Amino acid sequence: MDTQAMRLDSHLDRVVLTEEEIGARIAAIGSEISDDYAGRDPLLVGVLNGVVMFMADLLRAITIPVGVDFMAISHYAADRGAGTVRITKDLDESITGRHVLFVEDVIDTGLTLNYLLRALRTREPASLNVCVLFDRPYRRLIDIPLAYHGFELPDEFVVGYGLDSNGHYRNLPYVGVLKPDVRL
Amino acid sequence: MNQRKDQTRPPVIENPTVSKEDIEFQHPSEREFARVLDYYGIAWQYEPLTFPTDWDDEGNLLEAFSPDFYLVEQDLYVELTTLRQKLTRLKRRKLRRLRGLYPEVRVQLWNRKDFRRLLERLGIEELGEELIGQNAKES
Repeated sequence: MDTQAMRLDSHLDRVVLTEEEIGARIAAIGSEISDDYAGRDPLLVGVLNGVVMFMADLLRAITIPVGVDFMAISHYAADRGAGTVRITKDLDESITGRHVLFVEDVIDTGLTLNYLLRALRTREPASLNVCVLFDRPYRRLIDIPLAYHGFELPDEFVVGYGLDSNGHYRNLPYVGVLKPDVRL
Repeated sequence: MNQRKDQTRPPVIENPTVSKEDIEFQHPSEREFARVLDYYGIAWQYEPLTFPTDWDDEGNLLEAFSPDFYLVEQDLYVELTTLRQKLTRLKRRKLRRLRGLYPEVRVQLWNRKDFRRLLERLGIEELGEELIGQNAKES
């Protein structure tokens, strides 16, 4: 089977969150953030690459002035045995004294998010809260308070709306379960 | 468990501290798990305590449980069970006893599926068979 030539939606066994469901939840989160951060000029911070779609839609759902910045970190798969996480792209803006809202597409064990929050706290922001679209609580090792939370995902390997398999499927506008035999 | 038996409960055993380099992991999956924790800067200890889970009327130890990892800042124990389903059932039973006897102790039991999911999220799912073993296919 030439999976590269197949339409992405044909790779899915089923859809678990539709584009409409995701859009409605993001609109609600955006409204909450607009109320909570009014007059505080928050900076939304995300980690590349998975957060791109969520960040783009969330920004458009927020109705108050906000800044946005991105960072990137090394991946365990590429760095296995190399020691610790490295920040491969740092923020362009200083967050000292800023109200920072850390935006993440998914939380699983909490290991990555915990590492990033620790790194950001050392820069002394005025406040630091977390907004996560997808929550997979089944293997949570680190308890992290989530100020804004979208959906709890099923305990299956899902892709779409930023969630990937080997770097693919992020561009699906919804979330679905992959067929076992077509993973790119 | 009757009152007399409660009174004879042996104390929790503190296992000798071993440097990370000298730890003899019981399974490759444990070594990989330790590597992941180190990568994300999580302080951990390997089998630091042994919890008695059964004993006789004289307080002689009959059964005990030593969770694999202790995550220090999270005050959380993690037991990896990536081998056969039969062992998972045994460990679940021991874990139930541990939770009944030590309700203040937080323990997670990670089975093969949990470990596979972790490998998938880390992008190293191809190492699954190597790390979990030839007999580790999900039943």
